[in-house]
Amino acid sequence: MKFEAPIPGSNLLADTRKYPWHRPPDITTYDEAVDYMIERMTQEENAEMLYSMLEIKAPVVSIVSGLLMQAIAKGKFQIDLAILVAGPIARYIQILADDEGYNYEMGLENPNRIRMTPTLLKAALGIVDDDGEEEPDVVPAPVLPMGGLMGAPEEQEAGVASEDEQAAMLGMMPEEPVEKEEQDVPLA
Amino acid sequence: MNFQDAVRKSIKNFFDGKMPKNLTEVSEGEIVFTPEWFDGFEESLKDAPEPEIEEVDDEV
Repeated sequence: MKFEAPIPGSNLLADTRKYPWHRPPDITTYDEAVDYMIERMTQEENAEMLYSMLEIKAPVVSIVSGLLMQAIAKGKFQIDLAILVAGPIARYIQILADDEGYNYEMGLENPNRIRMTPTLLKAALGIVDDDGEEEPDVVPAPVLPMGGLMGAPEEQEAGVASEDEQAAMLGMMPEEPVEKEEQDVPLA
Repeated sequence: MNFQDAVRKSIKNFFDGKMPKNLTEVSEGEIVFTPEWFDGFEESLKDAPEPEIEEVDDEV
């Protein structure tokens, strides 16, 4: 249970003129909104900011969003109208940037969009491709500590016995034929 | 869809030459800032002569 939630109906008693966007908007038509935004962009301070953002290659979409959010926050027009006038404002900025020779970026492609590829789709669906031979995973050999009492012996010092020696130690060697002792020949 | 996505979509549509269908009905008359108006504005900027920079004489 949430106790910190507002009391139902409290919005009906709240001061509706607390913020600019609580009041009716100043501009309600499309042309007026575009005209207001263009006029605002031609002001010296805003123009400096606009050209500076183009200089640092900020996407035009971000610039337009910022300008519109400012206008909404001032209560000039509502969000619906702001979205409608986004296109003309972006076009206006594009024309200015072309005219001034800026190398700008529109930013119309969603940067968070993941491009779908067959490999990505197979991975998402958990499909294992049996046709192609998969390369074996190469596991790097662990690095053994060398030196010291507990360190791994070096290969030369290890003194590993050869296979014959190991077989001899295990008693697996074939028995050698015992030569008969030469009998003493009695001297005549 | 957040605000920036909506702005992005609106810009895409405008650049494709699409305008909201009911905009003319709401705006009570013809719309001034159409894609054609911006094309004309762009042409006028290209055709406009570059402003001459006034040379300032250092001589007093």
